[in-house]
Amino acid sequence: MPEYTILTLIGIAAVIGWELGWARTGVFGSVRYWLTMVIVFFFQIWVDGWLTKLSAPIVNYDPAQLSGIRFPWDIPIEDFGFGFAMVTLTIICWIRLGPKEHR
Amino acid sequence: MNHWQYLTILAACLVITLPLEFGIGARVYRSGRRLVLALIPMFVVFVAWDLLGILRGHWWYSQRFISGVHLGPMPLEEILFLIVIPICGLLTYEAVGRILMLARTPGRLRYRWPDGLVRVADQTRPHPVGRREGRSRNGSDHA
Repeated sequence: MPEYTILTLIGIAAVIGWELGWARTGVFGSVRYWLTMVIVFFFQIWVDGWLTKLSAPIVNYDPAQLSGIRFPWDIPIEDFGFGFAMVTLTIICWIRLGPKEHR
Repeated sequence: MNHWQYLTILAACLVITLPLEFGIGARVYRSGRRLVLALIPMFVVFVAWDLLGILRGHWWYSQRFISGVHLGPMPLEEILFLIVIPICGLLTYEAVGRILMLARTPGRLRYRWPDGLVRVADQTRPHPVGRREGRSRNGSDHA
């Protein structure tokens, strides 16, 4: 399997495992979190779409390191896993640092 | 102008999400300590992932679209990306939380600087005070 694909799967699994095993904020059971992720992914499509467009890419990828699925536009599908892990990890830490009654 | 492309995108992300802080009333920038502490674990992990991606040749950057400022092998823009996008995520999370809270709270929706959207109790409704008193004097309230 391509390396970026493997790292993305590890990243997703690590964040989910950390939440369920240790952090236990309950974030995956909250409507608020999933609404947030829908909005985040919607805007990721625009920003990442611009960064990765093959006609004039700001970020270039080695095709050998990707699954090869680039959707929508030319966004490597792995980028959504990267974004999910990055934003989710931040939200989990944010919740844990917040007022105790909101955990 | 090409060299500003990546930086411009990041600046646009911050500008577009700014109303979430001061319009809707997410308190992310105003919780400075909590914000910095929440970003640290993510930043360490994702700088490591990004460095690995660069050093292993998973991805690289078009020199004509970036400023050229680097910290080690990382373009300045990529480091800023790892701070800006998670902040946008937190602003969204806080704004969604606020909107869900406002949706189940009674009272009139008001905008109050710098709190953002708030519910105010119904008795502060700006009905003409005179009419209410007049009705009371006429006894029509009890009619």
